[in-house]
Amino acid sequence: MLPDSITSLIAALAKLPGVGPRSAERIALHLVQTEAETVKHLANAIVHAREKIQFCTTCGALTEKSPCSICEDSRRDGSLVCIVERAVDILSIEKSGTFRGKFHVLGGKISPLDGVEPEDLRIAELEKRLTGEPIKEIIIALSTDVEGDATSHYLAKRLTRAGLKISRIAYGLPAGSGLEFADELTLSRALEGRREM
Amino acid sequence: MHLAHLRLRDFRNYARLNADFAPGFHLLLGDNAQGKTNILEAIYLMATLRSFRGVGSAQMIRHGQKGYFVGGKVVGQGEREIKMFWSARERNLTLDGRAVKKLGDFLGTLRTVVFCTEDLQLVKGTGRTRRRFLDLLLTQTQPGYLPLLQRYMQAVRSRNALLKQFAPDPRLLESFSEQLVKLGNELIRHRRELIPKLSPLARLAYRRISNDAEELRINYEPSVKTDFSVELAQVRDRERRFRATLIGPHRDDLQLSFNDKSAAQFGSEGQKRTLAIALKMAQAEYLTGIHGSAPVLLIDDVMGELDAKRRAGLLPLLERARETSGQVFMTCTEENWPRELGRELQRWEVKAGALHGAKS
Ligand SMILES: Nc1ncnc2c1ncn2[C@@H]1O[C@H](COP(=O)(O)OP(=O)(O)OP(=O)(O)O)[C@@H](O)[C@H]1O
Ligand SMILES: [Mg+2]
Ligand SMILES: [Zn+2]
Repeated sequence: MLPDSITSLIAALAKLPGVGPRSAERIALHLVQTEAETVKHLANAIVHAREKIQFCTTCGALTEKSPCSICEDSRRDGSLVCIVERAVDILSIEKSGTFRGKFHVLGGKISPLDGVEPEDLRIAELEKRLTGEPIKEIIIALSTDVEGDATSHYLAKRLTRAGLKISRIAYGLPAGSGLEFADELTLSRALEGRREM
Repeated sequence: MHLAHLRLRDFRNYARLNADFAPGFHLLLGDNAQGKTNILEAIYLMATLRSFRGVGSAQMIRHGQKGYFVGGKVVGQGEREIKMFWSARERNLTLDGRAVKKLGDFLGTLRTVVFCTEDLQLVKGTGRTRRRFLDLLLTQTQPGYLPLLQRYMQAVRSRNALLKQFAPDPRLLESFSEQLVKLGNELIRHRRELIPKLSPLARLAYRRISNDAEELRINYEPSVKTDFSVELAQVRDRERRFRATLIGPHRDDLQLSFNDKSAAQFGSEGQKRTLAIALKMAQAEYLTGIHGSAPVLLIDDVMGELDAKRRAGLLPLLERARETSGQVFMTCTEENWPRELGRELQRWEVKAGALHGAKS
């Protein structure tokens, strides 16, 4: 039997995304056999990062100062805003290096089954931005599953106003963690071009 | 296509099993409750990831054990190796050693058609059984069908959750309705195209194995008659009362009739049984036609129940499986195995969770 302290470390690690029970065990066993200094350094880095990082009050991105550097960047096209589900989605779009506009993180998608309603998402914040910023075009980049599609449809309806162009790109894959045989795991739909909604 | 090797660990009453199977006929003989059907169940599981007994995976774990393993080698165009492990904590499915990411890529590795006593539900049971039949057949023949069906069901569930709310946001309901209609229309199109192809095969099969001259008809009975969105709008008030999505492919049915009278209501027991088998034969014929090789046929007990005439009607299908180097697994008890099937079969004795090759 493993000592209690290791068991609880494993339990804590297993809660992390992408870490299954077996890798949690491997990491825990590795950590408890690593030099104390190194482990302390890791622990400090985790705490430090957590304390420093906040959400940008404008776009919802992860940042150390709010508004974030993207919102503050005057060279970016402020008339174009890309709506994404999660803050990390910004990173992958930035990596592709083709988008020169700004972002808005929704914080999820509407899910009647999980009890996520429009009010739980940062839609009101977006509406506020629409009145305060010179936004002319919105690109919706949500995942292409049923909830992502319905959320996009809902947003397109709700955000409609004169002089605003709304389009959609298929983005990302529905997450397929935990292998449940009965479920389709990935529904790869190629990145179709923007479709005006 | 045939299953060349089967490996079981802690599956039902098998602690462990390793068996090699050649193409052709395999007769699994044994007393009751020895594990004959369990073998067919395991083979079907590798093909569809479901039990044909309609139970969940937990029930298939050998009593007192943590998880089951089912693995097999399928020889078709090439050789594929399937391994699945299932426990409450861990599920693992690999094809040729690589984790399966897309179910669509996996289904079709092994194709089976099962004939079992539960088939009678195709005639007597609710529409759900018949929809399952259609869905399985379409999944086995149309690459995009399964993901489409899963998306559609997700749309139905989401929409139902909305309808359960006290005052659903109309714009939100509209957004999920749009998904429902878009995906639903696709499903309807697939099903509508399938029936005219399946129907003649079922008629032919029925004529071959029945003793009567009645004309079998299979009609698609879609829940949506012409325009999904329009009809959905028409039932809005009722939906609000029932708090559920009331129309759509999840309410489709197949109408089975003899001389234009409902088979379930007016058919005799014998006719119903024969019709159920005819539907399964049509499934096998259709798969053979599409893929150019026969599916593995899993025949559980039904042969023993049939009289000589109806058995004889099944023979051409079994023969064809043999001609296309397919495979047939058939369970029987010693007293009722169909001896007319001849010498060219491999006999196996099943006893208390063990399988032994027997001399024919
Ligand atoms: N999860 C399980 N663990 C252990 N044994 C099981 C499990 N499920 C079923 N069994 C056993 O398997 C046996 C039944 O196997 P099976 O249904 O294959 O019988 P069969 O040979 O087809 O019999 P019959 O001729 O009556 O249809 C029974 O003895 C039953 O107790
Ligand atoms: Mg049985
Ligand atoms: Zn920002």
